[in-house]
Amino acid sequence: MNMDQLVRDALHEQASEATATPPGFAGRVLAVRRRRRTRTLAGAAVAVTVAVAVGVAVPVLSGGKDEPRLASQMNRSDIIAHPDQTPPRDLIAAGDIAMAAYWTTSTVKETPDRGVYQRTYHLLDQETGTYVKTTKWSFIAVAPGMRTAAVLEKGLPAKRIGLLDLLTGEVERWITVDRAVAGVEFSPDGSKLVATTYSKNPDLRYRADYDSDGDGKKNDWETRFGQSDRTGFYVLDVDSGKGSWSEVTGHEEDLNARQDFAFSDDAKLVYSGLTTEPHMQYYDFEGKEVATPVNEKYLHWYVDARLSPDGKLAAGEFAGGAKTTASAINDPYTGRRLHKIPGQQLLAWADNKRLVAWDIASGTNEFHQRLVLVTIGSKKTVPLSGFLKGNDGAAGRWEPIFAER
Amino acid sequence: MDAQGHEGFREFVENRSSALLKTAVLLSGGDRHAAEDLLQNAFVKAAGRWQRIDEPEAYVRQILYRQQVSRWRLKWRRRELTVAEPPETTAGATGGGTGGADTSSATELRILMRGALARLTARQRAVLVLRYFEDLPEADVARILGCSVGTVRSTTHRSLARLRTLAPELAALGPADAEQSPSRDFSPVEARP
Repeated sequence: MNMDQLVRDALHEQASEATATPPGFAGRVLAVRRRRRTRTLAGAAVAVTVAVAVGVAVPVLSGGKDEPRLASQMNRSDIIAHPDQTPPRDLIAAGDIAMAAYWTTSTVKETPDRGVYQRTYHLLDQETGTYVKTTKWSFIAVAPGMRTAAVLEKGLPAKRIGLLDLLTGEVERWITVDRAVAGVEFSPDGSKLVATTYSKNPDLRYRADYDSDGDGKKNDWETRFGQSDRTGFYVLDVDSGKGSWSEVTGHEEDLNARQDFAFSDDAKLVYSGLTTEPHMQYYDFEGKEVATPVNEKYLHWYVDARLSPDGKLAAGEFAGGAKTTASAINDPYTGRRLHKIPGQQLLAWADNKRLVAWDIASGTNEFHQRLVLVTIGSKKTVPLSGFLKGNDGAAGRWEPIFAER
Repeated sequence: MDAQGHEGFREFVENRSSALLKTAVLLSGGDRHAAEDLLQNAFVKAAGRWQRIDEPEAYVRQILYRQQVSRWRLKWRRRELTVAEPPETTAGATGGGTGGADTSSATELRILMRGALARLTARQRAVLVLRYFEDLPEADVARILGCSVGTVRSTTHRSLARLRTLAPELAALGPADAEQSPSRDFSPVEARP
């Protein structure tokens, strides 16, 4: 045998072992193309204003020469599911989004009558593509692109906001604020943060003087309803850390103890949920009440998915029956129901046709949920995670955070 | 891309991706994930010009090769590869001269060869894949890679020599045809960082 023959044999042998491309490869290619085009267009439009921010905050433009690669970018499969994992250990993704983190909760007793509702986060390590537990932070929001997270330290409300690099796990920069914040949220393009200010920790819980869950023991914790310590919000530019604070008063009796502000779809306004009609109130960046934007009139603050990426569809409420689960997809301008799709609770749009939702296995109870991918016009769902364990508030339950990957 | 183009493209990807993946796997030195990425990028590029391409498969193949040899931008890819053999050379795995190898030592030699191929530079590997897997003449290899025939010849020569260095057990093998007539072209060859 000579070199020619051996090289030839080795190459043919290796080629014959290469199995088929994964199912849906064509769809994945088209999704990547669509995403790149969108990013290029978005990049072109905002390049002048956010050029400096790209490296730190959100890679709005497509990857540069030496940009380190993120685990969420390296595996570009259209669907990355782990139906055997609850809570998930490895990256979960579908379409244009991925699960950036999840959190579990527990109430930590501070005094016999008072405790703190505490979140423990498992954040995606962009180096390894696994979710890693961190007890450092009391609150986390992840920017689109999944390169940066905004973090708050323990002991809410906090006087500084960290910008955490998800690749290195290090805080790149701190934004200090005069008024303490307890919640943060990125704008859809990742260039701004809205930070909700509170005069007191909104996650305090008080011992209930009755048996709240009916288990025969008076050992339950609850929030103080109808009492809010929320004071207002900051809108901060992520790149410079600059911004202004606006005081917000009114609706105190219609707020949950934690009722954070979030951006409207065009990031020109912020809104707050209300526990009573009309359920949402919008504000300009000076804290003045303004009318609800016409395309957000029929959204609900507790339906996380909100508007589809192209803005043409609105994720709606539960539309199932006593024993079945389903959710509504509505016309955002008229509120008319356009589709009824599987899924108990719509969490995030994977693209213009698909959403990630919580859903139950048929015939089980409402707490036995798992993450699924649902498609408009299809009854089929694709499981993305294992099932949650326990009832509401029990150990083994986790809450996902999604971001554009 | 209009709806018809969209459908045609999807059909092309579905029908041809497995065959093209084989080439991508070879170009990536056996790294399946890198191969899928490489192929995906090539398809994304092809999608952008879909309605102007006459021979899609040839076009995608050309992108695969050219992309691979200009992969400076993907330095992060240079991570550790999983190979079937430890990188240290194994004593006693020689092939028995010119054709006397038994089945097990032929298998061992192929494993050694694959390990060595994975450690070549992307350009060296691309030239060998075109010459020995696609069985293309030097002129076609030069056209696909956008270089001169002399460069193809010298790169082939150096790549084979490098394989012998990487796996000394291959030293006993008879020379390849390309090694019989040394090239006079000394065009620079991509150096592995």
